[in-house]
Amino acid sequence: MAIIEVSNLKKSYGNLEVLKQISFDVNKNDVVAVIGPSGSGKSTMLRSLVHLEKVDGGSIRVSGDDLVKDGVYSKPDEIKQITTKMGMVFQHFNLFPHLTVKENLEMAPRLAKRESASDIRKRSSELLQKIGLTGRESAYPAHLSGGQKQRVAIARALMMNPDILLFDEPTSALDPELTGEVLQVMKDLAEEHMTMIVVTHEMGFAKEVASRVIFMDNGEIIESGHPSDVMTNPQFERTKAFLNR
Amino acid sequence: MSYEYIITILKPMLEGAQMTILLFVIAIVVSLPLGFLLTLAVKSSFKPLSLLAQAFIYVMRGTPLLLQLLVICFGLPMIPGIGEYLVLDRFVAACIGFILNYAAYFAEIFRGGLLAIDKGQYEAAQVLGFSKWHMTTRIILPQMFRIALPAVANESVTLVKDTALLYAVAVPELLHYAETAVNRDFTIIPFAVAGVIYLLMTLVLTLFFKWIERRLRFE
Repeated sequence: MAIIEVSNLKKSYGNLEVLKQISFDVNKNDVVAVIGPSGSGKSTMLRSLVHLEKVDGGSIRVSGDDLVKDGVYSKPDEIKQITTKMGMVFQHFNLFPHLTVKENLEMAPRLAKRESASDIRKRSSELLQKIGLTGRESAYPAHLSGGQKQRVAIARALMMNPDILLFDEPTSALDPELTGEVLQVMKDLAEEHMTMIVVTHEMGFAKEVASRVIFMDNGEIIESGHPSDVMTNPQFERTKAFLNR
Repeated sequence: MSYEYIITILKPMLEGAQMTILLFVIAIVVSLPLGFLLTLAVKSSFKPLSLLAQAFIYVMRGTPLLLQLLVICFGLPMIPGIGEYLVLDRFVAACIGFILNYAAYFAEIFRGGLLAIDKGQYEAAQVLGFSKWHMTTRIILPQMFRIALPAVANESVTLVKDTALLYAVAVPELLHYAETAVNRDFTIIPFAVAGVIYLLMTLVLTLFFKWIERRLRFE
């Protein structure tokens, strides 16, 4: 079943077309890696799924609900309801620096008021254990390493019980020796069949963990398919050129 | 210099210092929230309100505080027709002047605090489903106040010293009594005593803000 259906997505900044008729589906339990050169529109595509960017045309459906249909957006309260089904992990973590790790995790679900405080506390301590940060509840983000921050950011997104998790270059701001711990958490999530879209430059991760790879260049999807096809046996010159860099 | 002499001049000077402190407290307590409201007005999407707030800040920062005090104390009553209704107690007039002037500075300080917040903070809050109100009150404002704190502390110290401008509108305060004593006794000691009293006041204030900064370190 398709969780996300994207068709003919278009976006321009002035004369520059950053997304040219992008279409793809993401099914439940898919782990989609989006690869491609810088400036190819990967991040813009991902951000438009959660309404951090507005598209100029095309449609986005999330779990059967229209976020935008043929370039026309739904009403603000519907948009909010649709986008909260998705969690987002940013390149620069975007943790709240004035809140402790625990408060970073618990504030959004507490304000959403959908569940009891004790349920929220229970989940936050489970997630902290999962990301290996039990005992750091009362630390402020400034006292965490980059890898720890990104793991907290993943846990914070999971606190909202999203149907799908989006990652925007989650390891690009990290020192090389810290990427492993973040990729491991993502790998664990993939094994638990979390649906994910990961914009990444980590070719190893795409090859090993992704169930599907989308290669984008210049605002278009050039090819997509199983990683063993796209990455080891690419059909298009641009894909070959990118992978051989 | 005799110890007794300092004691004799200290009494009126401390009374003057009370006036200084009273003005400081009134000015800071009212101008901080007013400055924050001004920041919101500048940021407002309702253009006339934003432009009005910007014009107010421009005038208040672009003219001397002394001029503003003189206008409020002595200028307003001279306006034909309505002037007679604008005769204020000089201390009240001075308070209004200080409040309006400092609110403009605090508004700019808070605006700087807002600008320093990374746009990723707004994006993270939005994606996590925060309402606009919760985003503002739980994520943006706490960070804005923390970022603005050192500048607010600095401006507050300036305010303590600016209270000496009361002298110009003939409200007796610390400096007024010091100068009276200097002229009467022909000695520099009252000026030195006044300097020490100002230093003590700014010291207390500086320590107070350092304490708040430490408490809100997020570390």
